[in-house]
Parts: sequence; C-alpha cells; structure tokens
Amino acid sequence: MSVLELPSTREEGWRWSDPEGIAAAAAMPAGAPVDPAALFLDLPGARIVVRDGVVDRDASDLHRVTLAPVPASDHPLGRQAAGPGWMLHLAEDAVAHPVQVVHLASGGANHLPAEIVLAEDAAAQVVETYAGAGWSNRFLRVRLGRAARLMRAVRLVQDGGFVSLREEAHLGTGASLVTTFLGAGAAGSRIDATLVAGEGAFAEFGGALLTAGEQRQECAVAVRHAEPNGQSHQLWRAVAADRSTASLAARVEVARHAQKTDGEQSLRGLLLQRTATVNLKPELEIFADDVKCAHGATVGELDQRALFYMQSRGIPRGRAQAILTRAFVADALDRIGNETVREAFAADADAWLERVL
Amino acid sequence: MNMLRIENLHAEIDGKEILKGLSLSVKAGEIHAIMGPNGAGKSTLGYVLGGRPGYDVTEGSVTFDGVDLLALEPHERAAAGVFLGFQYPVEIPGVSNVQFLREALNAQRAGRGEAPLSGGEFLKLARAQADALGLDQDMLKRPVNVGFSGGEKKRNEMVQMGIVDPKFAILDETDSGLDIDALRIVGDGINRIMRKPDKAVLLITHYQRLLDYVKPDFVHVLADGRIVRSGGAELALELEREGYAGVAA
Ligand SMILES: Nc1ncnc2c1ncn2[C@@H]1O[C@H](COP(=O)(O)OP(=O)(O)OP(=O)(O)O)[C@@H](O)[C@H]1O
Ligand SMILES: [Mg+2]
Repeated sequence: MSVLELPSTREEGWRWSDPEGIAAAAAMPAGAPVDPAALFLDLPGARIVVRDGVVDRDASDLHRVTLAPVPASDHPLGRQAAGPGWMLHLAEDAVAHPVQVVHLASGGANHLPAEIVLAEDAAAQVVETYAGAGWSNRFLRVRLGRAARLMRAVRLVQDGGFVSLREEAHLGTGASLVTTFLGAGAAGSRIDATLVAGEGAFAEFGGALLTAGEQRQECAVAVRHAEPNGQSHQLWRAVAADRSTASLAARVEVARHAQKTDGEQSLRGLLLQRTATVNLKPELEIFADDVKCAHGATVGELDQRALFYMQSRGIPRGRAQAILTRAFVADALDRIGNETVREAFAADADAWLERVL
Repeated sequence: MNMLRIENLHAEIDGKEILKGLSLSVKAGEIHAIMGPNGAGKSTLGYVLGGRPGYDVTEGSVTFDGVDLLALEPHERAAAGVFLGFQYPVEIPGVSNVQFLREALNAQRAGRGEAPLSGGEFLKLARAQADALGLDQDMLKRPVNVGFSGGEKKRNEMVQMGIVDPKFAILDETDSGLDIDALRIVGDGINRIMRKPDKAVLLITHYQRLLDYVKPDFVHVLADGRIVRSGGAELALELEREGYAGVAA
C-alpha cells in the first residue's frame, strides 16, 4: 500500500481501524467541487475554507487565524499531516469570535495540520465541518494555558471516502476542553485522540457516530490525568444500521499522584439491524487510590414495546424508529453549548435518520 | 350497522394458540365490557386488534367500518379511528409527552388527509385534556410515562385518548391502579370522550366499580380464548357475586 503505513489491525489500538477504507478513499477519482457557502453557520468570526487540504485564502476570512508550519506529530496518521497549516493563538484573557473551518474534499488524499494555543484565561470556540469525498487527514495540536477554555464541535458529513483526525491536547491547570463530534455522513472515519489533563483541568470528549450501509466509523481516545483534581467525561453514542460498524475505544488513565480525579465514561450503542455491529471498549487504568471513575458500556436495540406503543398512537414505524433513535443520541449532542451549532448538528442527525430509516 | 365485527378469531403467540374462535360484534353508540379470568386472552384480543407484531392471526376475520382491519398497519388502524389503551403503558425515555402526542396526532391527521395542528393549537388541546383528567400540566413536558405512578400512567392514556379523539377505543384495565377519585375522573373522561352515537368502546375490566361510572350496554365473559357468555349490565353484577366458575362454566 503506497498511501499510508498504519500499524497492523492486529495491534490492540488499531484492531477496529479500516486501512482498506482509507486506501480506497485516497484512490477516489476527482469529484465535483463542493460549494462551502451552505456549510457555514450563521455565526460571527473567522470562516476558513479548506479545499483538498489547502486553505483557500481568497474564499476565507481569517480574522485571528494565521497560516504557519505546525510542529509535527509522531503518530502514524498525524505525522502525514505535516507542514504549514492553520493556527489560532490567543494571548492572555483574549476571547475570540467562533472560528469556523469547512474542509472540502474532491477525491484523492488531502492532509492538513492545525494548532490552537490559548494563553491563560483565553477562550475560543471552533466549529469544523467535513464535506465532499476523498481521504481527509488532519492533525490538531492543542495547548491550553491556565484556566483557558476551548469548545469544539466537529461534524463529519462527507458523502464518501474517509476522514481521519488525530488530536493531541494538553490542558493546563484549571483549563477546560469540550469537544463534541457528530459522524453523520457516508464516509468512514477514525477519530484518534490523546488528551493530557493538568491540575483541576476539565476535559469532555464525546459525540455521536451514526453509521449505515457498509460504513465503518471509529473513535479511539485516551484521557490522561497527570495531576490531581481533574475531571473528564467521555459520553459517546453509536448508532449502526445495515452492515455498518461503529467502534468506540475510550480510555482513562490516572497517574499515581493524580488524586481526586473524577473520570466518567458512558458508551452506548444502538443496533438498528442485527447485521450491524457496535464495538465498545471502555478502559480504566488507575494508579492513584483516591479517585472516582465510573464507566458504563451497553449495546442494545430499539425497544419493540415502545415502537408498538408509538405505532398504535398513529406514528408510522419508520418515524417511530427515528424518534427513538434521536432520543438515544440527544445526550451526546446536548453537550454543545452554542445554540446555533447545536441546532445545526441536530439537523444533520435528523437528516441522517430521514435517509436511513 | 356493525362498527366492529370479529368472526371466529384465532390468534397465537410464539405458536401457542391464545384466541380460539372468538366472535363479537359492536355497533356505533355501544359500550361493551369484557370480563374474564387472568390469562383468558383479553389483552391478547386488544393487541391483535391493535396489530402488535408477534400476535399472529391464524383464522377468522375482523372488519372495522367495513374495512379488513387485520390488513392495516398498526398506525393505519390508529388513523382509521382505533385507540388501544394499554394495560401496561410503555415508558419512552428521552421523548416528551408533548412531542409524542403531537407527532401521533399529526400523523393520524395526515393519514386522513387533514392539515397538521401547529404547536400552539396542539398545546391548547393537550392542556385542556390534561386539565379535564386532572393530570398535572408539567407531566406533559416529561418523557412519556417515565417515572409516572401506575395511576398517572392510566390517566395519561385517557389524556392521549382525549387528544386523538378516536372512533373506537379498546381500554385494557384502565381502572387498575386508580385511586377512588381517579376512578371517577377517568370514568367521567371515558363518558365525555367516547359516549357518543358515532363511537364505541370495548372496556376490559375485572371490576364492577368502573362499570358503575361507565354503564355498559353489553357484558361478555372471555374465558380460554372465547366469549363464553354475553348479557346486559346485570351480568357483571352476577359475576361479582358468583365468580367466573359458576357463571362461565
Ligand atoms: N409472549 C408470550 N408467549 C407465550 N404465551 C404468552 C405470551 N404472552 C402472553 N401469553 C399467554 O397468553 C395468555 C393470555 O394472556 P393475556 O395477557 O391476553 O391475558 P388477560 O386475559 O389479559 O389476563 P389478565 O387479566 O391477567 O390481564 C396467557 O396465558 C399468557 O401467559
Ligand atoms: Mg390483560
């Protein structure tokens, strides 16, 4: 395989990954260009158009975003997205308007790194959308200073191909990072992240993966509590239809002196057909003795009794399935703080349900 | 003319025959009570009329307003005017009563070619029905039946019936779990919503006390999958005195 070298799927952290899917996406023929206009939400601030991994300066409004080389990652996927990328660096106490990034793929492989560095008490919001078709590979480096706050929302709505995201974040003392993903397109995906939480830091990393057809979507995330008093929540909902597969491997690591850590994982899967697969792997690795870590992982099907109850009140079966499925993923999407963003993501989830059910 | 006509109905669950040749006719304007021992097949009859998956009809027919009811999907039966009040109403976490009922009503209206009700129109209707049945307004916003007490679930069934305003209701032990006041409120609700010349009710119950409020025109005894005896309102009193053993033997 010429496009990439990934660890073997025999390796634990890559067992559910889909290298063939990535290779096939990278070989997709050039498609029609996608119009980004409809993909930007009605928010003030930067609007960045990325076409096949290159920032389209003419079509973008950079605001505080700059373009510069991003320090490389040594991660097998992350290191392929090396070189110049987009950066958001905020000085102490700065509060930026939301930054929107729309990534458009039109066949083949494209790579782009990015870096977000927030100094003490700075706050930012970033909303990213992936559309088009092809292999879009990204590396994001995040550094949050003391009490800095970053809210991110990422939606994968590519029509085909593959999106791979590698994210490496360091949260300083009392910093907060809330990231919500929605996989509601037709592309395969791998979200792969490592978060290191400092003293009293707050990390939320979760979302909803909706898969259908032969699609495979996956998230592998590890949150490391390196210092005491940190909090992390990983709330994921996976919905799989047809012969698709959604996989979640979420890990919490608590270092020996990271006392009073509160780590919570809630992983739930819903199979819309028995031919679909949801893999869940919650993992705890705790070396401190005074911690509170709760995890739950369950996979189920729609409640047949609820479906009949709804039908008997006049709701057609497909619509009843959509309502119950929507309720299932609601927890994950409700984590998005900005109403405009939350509604847009909810609409994408609804559109997915409309298409699949 | 008969609104509902059930003829020689045989139905099974998981290959086990539960209804064994049940026949029953109901005319518009009538209220029929169905009584019978535990496990006789009363709820099964309700589910078969509602179209619950897994309840297979092996013989017989059911016509509703001249239409083959068994050929319709469950939601089409609702749009045709059939309402099934559940013995055990189902909890639906994450879906509010308001959303559920508005979807239900508008789906039924769409099925009949009527325009949907707006959010405001719907809320007005829902509030009025909740008030009439003494269900706290706040419960409309809560997820369907989640955390409702047994009696609240049954009242909620009646609120739903008031909102969709069906032509024909099968009420499966709507009286069980109700306190004395609630029993009267629910009884009044059934009369208010369903006691009309163009409507009919199949009232499944174990006790005379509901029939004190909702006077049946006919009482039937369902035992071992069949109607074994039919009579007027006095049959219920006789059953209460003598039990099923003597009456249905
Ligand atoms: N899934 C099932 N598989 C096999 N038998 C079943 C199933 N569901 C119900 N039955 C049986 O069908 C019979 C009729 O049950 P049904 O619930 O209709 O009784 P009922 O007359 O409503 O009783 P009750 O007065 O206790 O509510 C019972 O013997 C019950 O055990
Ligand atoms: Mg019963």
